[in-house]
Amino acid sequence: MGAALLSAAMALPIVVGTAHAESAPEKGTLSFKYLNYKESQQTSSDAIAEYGRADSKSGASAYDERILVKATSSSLVVPLNSEWSMSGTLITDSISGASPAYHTQALSYLKDFRRAVDTSLTRYLPNGTLSVGMSHSGENDYVSRATSLLATRSSENRNTTWTAGIAINRDQINPANQVVLNETKRSNEVLLGVTQVVTMNDIVLFNLGYYKGHGYFSDPYKIYDERPRERAQQKFQTRWNHYFNDLNGTSRLAYRYYTDNWGIRSHTLDAEWVQQIGNGWSAAPAVRYYSQTAAKFYVEVDPSILPFPPSPPANAKYFSEDQRMSAFGGLTLGMKLTKQLNLDTKVDVKLEQYGQKGVWILSGTGSKGLAPFYARNLQVGITRSF
Amino acid sequence: MWFFALLVLQGCSLVQTVEPWQKGNLAKPEMTFEDDPLERGYREHIYTSKEASAGGSSLGGGGCGCN
Repeated sequence: MGAALLSAAMALPIVVGTAHAESAPEKGTLSFKYLNYKESQQTSSDAIAEYGRADSKSGASAYDERILVKATSSSLVVPLNSEWSMSGTLITDSISGASPAYHTQALSYLKDFRRAVDTSLTRYLPNGTLSVGMSHSGENDYVSRATSLLATRSSENRNTTWTAGIAINRDQINPANQVVLNETKRSNEVLLGVTQVVTMNDIVLFNLGYYKGHGYFSDPYKIYDERPRERAQQKFQTRWNHYFNDLNGTSRLAYRYYTDNWGIRSHTLDAEWVQQIGNGWSAAPAVRYYSQTAAKFYVEVDPSILPFPPSPPANAKYFSEDQRMSAFGGLTLGMKLTKQLNLDTKVDVKLEQYGQKGVWILSGTGSKGLAPFYARNLQVGITRSF
Repeated sequence: MWFFALLVLQGCSLVQTVEPWQKGNLAKPEMTFEDDPLERGYREHIYTSKEASAGGSSLGGGGCGCN
């Protein structure tokens, strides 16, 4: 009983923060994160080997380096008073390397620079919040503008929070190779969700999302790529966080089901364990599994004419030989270390390795003849409250 | 569907009434669904440019011509 009282008393200072969840944060936050992302893919001859033409014991196979991205993100969140806060994020991406023109063949080299700005303004109400967001992203060949509105409403005891949001996107596409000029893509997205406290150590979330877009969805840098000009997506996401008292650790699980009118269905499962180690350190290993079916207009590799691109079926209106439209599974392993340096400063480093293969698909047979794809990313961040 | 799921949860009386003073663990950053926004930005950007699915957890954010 004494121990229970003591732990309740110890919890109290934290609770004061959550009891007034619907007021602006008391402190501002300045964050910075660096990303180094590097792709690699086995050379195409290994993809041919999958058909049994060559010796597949390619232990010493060569890897083609693909895209390399070095990105920085800086973000500032400032409370204006107890009812308003604003935030701004600036992102720069420098992209270089090579991308296949079809399937995993014919690398073409590219270099690009992207700059994106994200801003939002939030109003805190007695039982909810209202946020409006604006973002702009610009590259040589692609400009995207988005506006979003997000509302939350909490129950009296704050154990249930409802969320509703809408986002509008307007994109302009002017590819460097000028295969199209002044193309556009317009989309609207709706998100509805609910977060529920289940026990003292459990919280769950359910989200439903609907996206509808029309315009230019093809990839101008790929050979034989003509995609529908309409895309409708539905997604359902659920998350569950559980705190283990005995271990001082938290499991974070998430599952997403996705389906669209292109014939793609996918499952995504995320599992993360956050372990408090002491002295302000925490370690978080994570695993993610992803599996998707192919778009109905995806054109499979034709082993009889490799390494040349197969012609789309006669009279086909839509076709794509993009690996991302194929059927495959993806696996990510990651580890994040965080150190709270003092009350106001936190640093973190994260390393992730991602792989993508046709045979890793959840059920059925994945697309064949594509070289496995790998990417690793390293992130280093610092966050400071003031 | 989420509403249905919530009803099921409450119907099964899995949902307990948690009082404000019992929310110490729930207040830990790793117990919230508000992930590190910069990390989430990178993650969504990477997966949208390598897989055919997107979204489900958040809204907004500029699109890109990432290939």
